Amino acid sequence: MIEIIFESIPSFWPEITLSLTFVISMIVEFIVGGKGKKSTGMTTGLIVLLGFTVTILQMPFQDLEPRLLFGTMITLDPFAAFFKYLIVAAGIIVIVFSMQSHEVRRQETVGEFFCFIAAMTFGMFLMAGASNLLMIYLSIELVSLSSYILAGFSKKLKRSGEAALKYVLFGGAASGVMLYGMSLLYGLTGALDIYSIQSTLAAGMVVDVHDWSFVVLMLSIIMILVGFGYKISAVPFHFWTPDVYEGAPVSVTAYLSVASKAAGFAVMVRFFYVAFFDSVLDLGKWGSLPLVDWNMIIALLSVLTMTLGNVVAIWQDNLKRMLAYSSIAHAGYIMMGLVVMSDLGLTAMLAYFVIYFFMNLGAFYIVMSVADRIGSEHIDDYRGLGKRAPVIGVGFSIFLVSLTGLPPLAGFIGKWMLFSAVIEAHYIWLAVIGVLNSAISLYYYARVFRNMYLREPLNGDESPITFSPLVIVITILFIIPNIIFGVYFGPLISYAQRSVELFLQ
Amino acid sequence: MSSELIVFLILAAVGVLSGILMITRPNPVNSALFLILNFMALAGLYITLHAQFVAIIQILVYAGAIMVLVLFVIMLLNLEDEEPLREQMSKRHYGSLLVALLALVLIVQVIGWNSGGTLETMREQSPHALRIGTVEHIGSVLFTEHVYPFELTSILLLAAIVGAIVMAKKRFP
Repeated sequence: MIEIIFESIPSFWPEITLSLTFVISMIVEFIVGGKGKKSTGMTTGLIVLLGFTVTILQMPFQDLEPRLLFGTMITLDPFAAFFKYLIVAAGIIVIVFSMQSHEVRRQETVGEFFCFIAAMTFGMFLMAGASNLLMIYLSIELVSLSSYILAGFSKKLKRSGEAALKYVLFGGAASGVMLYGMSLLYGLTGALDIYSIQSTLAAGMVVDVHDWSFVVLMLSIIMILVGFGYKISAVPFHFWTPDVYEGAPVSVTAYLSVASKAAGFAVMVRFFYVAFFDSVLDLGKWGSLPLVDWNMIIALLSVLTMTLGNVVAIWQDNLKRMLAYSSIAHAGYIMMGLVVMSDLGLTAMLAYFVIYFFMNLGAFYIVMSVADRIGSEHIDDYRGLGKRAPVIGVGFSIFLVSLTGLPPLAGFIGKWMLFSAVIEAHYIWLAVIGVLNSAISLYYYARVFRNMYLREPLNGDESPITFSPLVIVITILFIIPNIIFGVYFGPLISYAQRSVELFLQ
Repeated sequence: MSSELIVFLILAAVGVLSGILMITRPNPVNSALFLILNFMALAGLYITLHAQFVAIIQILVYAGAIMVLVLFVIMLLNLEDEEPLREQMSKRHYGSLLVALLALVLIVQVIGWNSGGTLETMREQSPHALRIGTVEHIGSVLFTEHVYPFELTSILLLAAIVGAIVMAKKRFP
């Protein structure tokens, strides 16, 4: 057994680095922090940033030959590596955001803030590779625990406390249900790792369609789906999302909406793809689960998620809350790739994640910078912003147009790939609903443009708002990929295609 | 009637009775004490199932540490008894009742469907299976096969402890 552990360690350096980052940053914060010095929190932040940089630099040297680590606990394959890049890149960006954010820097516990970002990133790395029910549960729990604390970080704000409490209650209930489902699945198959579960189910020995065991299997899958659905904030498990996204500091919201969602999708795809797909038969059908049309169930969830997200977003006046509903809607779009589960659908999903990364982080960055400057996230306070701060106005418009999915920006390519994957699998009605939803989303995004460009400022104040050069530079850095991936998307798609390689036994 | 069955019946009766008493007592302190009794009965059941380690942990962690915390919280909150504990049946409760019934049906079916293996047949077929509940066996599995989840749990707990302090502490020196 000890040999397996020693063999696994060389493939495990990024995760080891991240866990060391978490522990070291905590020790450093313990030693130098807490003396009322403003700079101490930033020291911890820099250590975490360094840890993340080392992690991302190690990853290209990893041998991505698909294999299992620590027995069957963790899988390393191009699919996991793709999500790890996305997660750690988002982590670096979020730390840079947080170092500028007044909301974060005001806190007494800035240092711990960065420690928890490290813990959360570590948890999401494990989620991307987890191939054992135990690991799936523990990694989701590590991410959830860290995000509860980060969501309630602005302790003096009432809405932040509300966010943390709602998050804890929803998260606790969802992970309890998921754990129950996992225990049922373990009881049925006698295996914890998803590969043995797959082979046991495929052998057809334990589950009989005419038996209660089939009902138990269905129930366990639905219960596990509750836990995943909560993590990716799919309807009807989304109720925590708007409050948490509104109450948490903006940089945390950005991290939750991009990285946490990506990790949730990664673990969900791996679990369902490996455990319930009959790889010998037709890919794209849930082979091990007869009788129930799971593609249809996921399709319905996807339609519900995107429609609810888009429709409710129309009435939101707080931009953070609006972006929260918009991110629910985007989870719905991404689930369209899960409906198909073919290589095409998964490629579209991965490509969409990269694009979503740039447009959503950009949009949240603008909301954060503007909130730091004028102290408001209300849509009325954005009146005249296009004239008062041209770069910010243009940047925000580009991110929102990209989120809508209009050409020639990157968001269009993402949506186009998802829709074409769905049409390929003959779910034309689903694509139609997706397009209709994009039209709805244009309405509420356009409200922001209208306020920024066509309406006079609230109290007639037309003086320009100056932002620091750093903010301008970061905004431009986010604009560039949104434009480039809109017109030159070949490398992105081929990278996504190469990453759709899951370890199967 | 074997002695094993008699022990089981006594423990099961104590478990069910204390469970019912726990949810019907108006005084929360009484409820908590009945919950301890329930934990004790469960621990006894675990021993009859050859799961000694789980039984000891049940007493140490649940009946000991966690129940002390629960009693502390109840006493600190100084609850006014009776009032909030009496609720009317509302529409929402029918839903809960339905879910509870469904769970009951499932439990009954799963137990009935697994009835092939009794403890005696298990003893005859695989004497090895009896060692599963021992501390040695759990320890060796924990530190070989499941060593990584075990280590991850420690990171999870570290994050949870620090997080609890960050959230609960009012002012940092």
